Formats: sequence, structure tokens, C-alpha cells
Amino acid sequence: MSRLWTLTLYLVRELFGALAGIVPLAAAVAFGLIAFEYGMDQAQLITVGGLGIGTIGFLATLLLAGKADRAASFPILGRLRRRAELLGSILVGGLGITWILAIAIVVANLLAGRLTLSSPSLLWIMPTWTAVWLFVTALALSLSALVSRNGSNLLGYLLVVAVLVANDRKADLLDRGAGWAVRIVERLVWPVGTLLSRASAEVHDQTYFAAAAATLACAAALFLLAAFLFRDKDLLWSE
Amino acid sequence: MAWEVIEPSLVRARSVSKRYGRALALDRLTLSLPEGSVLGLLGPNGAGKTTFLRLVMGFLFPDEGEVDRGGLAPGQIGYLPERALYPSRLRVREYLELIGRLAGLHGQALRDKVRRLLAELSLEDAAGKRLGSCSRGMLQRVGLAQVLLGDPQLLLLDEPMLGLDPSGQKLMRDQIEILHKGGKTILLSSHNLGDVARVCTHVAMLNRGRLTRSGRLDTLLPGRAEVTISTGPLPPGLPSAIRSLAPGILASEGHIKLVGDAVQRKTEVLRLLLGADVDIQELVEAHATLEEAYLEATQG
Repeated sequence: MSRLWTLTLYLVRELFGALAGIVPLAAAVAFGLIAFEYGMDQAQLITVGGLGIGTIGFLATLLLAGKADRAASFPILGRLRRRAELLGSILVGGLGITWILAIAIVVANLLAGRLTLSSPSLLWIMPTWTAVWLFVTALALSLSALVSRNGSNLLGYLLVVAVLVANDRKADLLDRGAGWAVRIVERLVWPVGTLLSRASAEVHDQTYFAAAAATLACAAALFLLAAFLFRDKDLLWSE
Repeated sequence: MAWEVIEPSLVRARSVSKRYGRALALDRLTLSLPEGSVLGLLGPNGAGKTTFLRLVMGFLFPDEGEVDRGGLAPGQIGYLPERALYPSRLRVREYLELIGRLAGLHGQALRDKVRRLLAELSLEDAAGKRLGSCSRGMLQRVGLAQVLLGDPQLLLLDEPMLGLDPSGQKLMRDQIEILHKGGKTILLSSHNLGDVARVCTHVAMLNRGRLTRSGRLDTLLPGRAEVTISTGPLPPGLPSAIRSLAPGILASEGHIKLVGDAVQRKTEVLRLLLGADVDIQELVEAHATLEEAYLEATQG
């Protein structure tokens, strides 16, 4: 645990000490200003915030992976028992940055009077967002150049874009007789979509917990995929 | 390799080949790293030295063959990269503390170890400097300091003398000797034959990815005579005819050198020279140096 924490702090510090560190900060400021411009209630916060801040977490994780993906990591890797420790620290760092930015966005908009939080079910935001953002950071990790092999990340990005576009054009797909594609896409987006919509509706039933478990299982599968790709990857960092 | 029979190995590479695209970096290399030895990897640029070090580190994986690190606990390797690319914004002390924590040191033990290393490597004044503003020689010392943290069993040093001034080179040599006496196993690559001759117990020479010569330094050189023949002008075609007698013959205008087993062909070379009516000015027999052994192993 101590090594994981040490590595996480190192990578986060490297990111925010560099110009690239401006990216998640600027994205958070932009999201905080634009998404909350006309005010937001708790239900909207759970879905819009979950996805919007999750996207910033995705970016932050990619940037952290980029900081690890260089020759300066050679002496560090030599001291690790498993390469997966480096991936674990990126995941923890990505999730930590996402939560810190989320708290800043929420607090700033609360103080500005553009966000209303009233219900006691506010506490459900934490497990909901954590599950979604673990999935998002694990997805970013598996799509990063650090673990990519033979362009696997490009294929991954194509799949993600295809799923997002297909999810947006379900009616078109049904009109064209591609009901099978709609069913696949619905299954793929079900865990995160259901988790956010149930939390937003303040319904914490069996379906909510099943969606949370499925989201966490997907996150674990993506992390294992990243670890598998990275385990015996040739590290061709040039010195 | 005779040493394999009698000395236990920490790392053993068996018939390892490695390609980068179409380029063959290592070609069926078999080499073992005896426990407690200082093995110097010699070879020209592109010979495969860094590739071999990275295979041992586990940064690269062989296309064929295997690298057995059976005798080594995970995380027990200190690695000094060839070019000191370190996180430029970290300060020297912060960086050493980072590596120390990853190596399992904490609290007062970590602080004491870092302080001791800074003193031993004359880095006390640089402790607060950012790595990005350190000189090349200073970075090389920082590199050695991070290698020594956590008491690793195996030290891999890629061109440790590169960019060091004479006093820095002496410091590095002294540290390697101290570590060797302390029982550490060291694998280093170098272009500097003098340094290798001074600090290494074993030598392995690579050329174009192949192991051309290896052995204990004390058994590799003694007894290996060389013959140098100084002559007048050689008729066209004679140098190549002489060279074709054996791989260890270097023949150029007015100068013929027979190294290693090629010394056995001395009589035939002289016969060729006399047959071509060449003026033989001098014949000197001497023991080979590491330089000659290196040239012999890497030319051709």
C-alpha cells in the first residue's frame, strides 16, 4: 500500500508540475461554469456531474499514464514487484484527482447559489460516482498508450466511439433493421446508465445495486485487461 | 563458458534473440551472470549491450530463448540508465527518497540512508537542486545513489562512466570496487576498456548482437600472445590473402597483426610475405591487451 501511495503522489505531482496539468484544471473550471450556468438540482447533478466530471477523470488518467510512459520510469519500475503496481497508482491517482475536482466544482457552485442539494439521499452520490469513475479511469487506463500493444488503444477508441454513437442513434438503427446492434449497445451502457438514472431518481433498489456491481465488475475487467497488456509489453522508452 | 560450470549464476540468458522490427539486436545470446561478479559488457554501438541490460531488467522480453532471473527477488535490481533522464522537477533529495520508499525504506532509516549516500557521492551541496538543473556528471552520481538504495542484489549500470570527468570516473570506479567487495553482483556496459579492465572480474564481448568472446578477465588475456609484423609496401592482393588465413589477422599497409589463435599461423604469414619478396622490418611478439581482444572480437 505504501508503495502504491508513494507512486500515486509522485505521478500526480509530476502531472500538476507540468503544463499538461492545466488540462484537467481548465476542464473542471469550464465544466463548473458552463454546466451550472442556469442552476442545477441534485438529480441533474448526479447524472450530468457523474458523466461530465467522469470525462475530466478520463482525461486526467490518460495524462497520468502519459507521465508514467517515459524513460524516467525505468529506475522506478526496477523497484516494483509487479508492473501492475504502476497501473494501480495511475488508477488511484485518476480517481483521486476526479474526486478533488468534483468536490471543488460542487462546493464552488453551492457557494455561488447555482446548485441545490436538499435530500438526505445526497450520501448516495458518493458510492454512485465512485463506481462510475472507477469504470471511467479503468477505461482510460486500458486505452492509454502506456499499456497499448500493436495499436490496441486505437481499436479501443473506435469501439468506444461506435458504442456512444450507436447509443445516440438507436432509433435510426432500429429503422434500418439493426435491432441486434441496439440490444448489444443497451447491454453495454446498462450498468453506468442504470446506476446514474436510479441514483438520480433516488431509487436505491436491487436494480441499483446490480448496476453498481456490474459497473465495478466492468472496471475490474478493464483494469485486468490493462494489466494483461502491460505485463509483458516491451518498454521501448528512448533515453 | 568455463565460469558457468563452477560459479553459481544470478541471471542466466539462454539462446536469447531480440528483434526491433527487422533489425536483429541480439542473436541467440547465451550468457550467465555469476553471483558476486562484476561483468563488463563490451561492444561497439548497436552491439546489443543496452538491449541485453533491458532484457535482464525485464523491460524487454526475448523473441526467442529465455532470461532466467531465478536467483533474484522481484524489485531487487538497481538500474542506472545510459542517459540520465530523471524527473526534472524533483529535487535530488526528493528523488532519492522516492526511490528509497519504493525500495522499502521508510522514516529515519530512509533519511539516514539518503544522507549517507549524498555524503559518499559528494552530492550534499546538490541535495536541494532540481534534477533538471543538475550537470551530467551530477546526474550520473544521483543515478548511482538511487541504484544503491534499498540494498539491491543486482546492479545494472549502462555506461556508468559516460559524461563523467576524471574525478567522477574515479569515484564511480571506487564505488563499483566497494560494492564488489561487499558481495554485490554488477553487470555494466562500457566503451571504456581501461575502466572495464580495472573493475570487472568477467568480460563478455558483443558484436552485432552476438557473443564473440567471454570469460573471466584473469583467464581471458594471459597466455594470449599477439604478433606484430612491420613490413615494407605490400603488393596488391596480399593483405586480403593474409587476412583470409585466419579471422584474427589484421593486415594493412606496412602493418600485420596476428591475435589469439591466429598467432599459430605466423609461419604461413611469413611464408607469404617472403614469397612475395616483401621487406620484413620487424617482428614483435607480445601478450594481448583487453583492447586487442576487444578489437579482435568486434571486427569482422
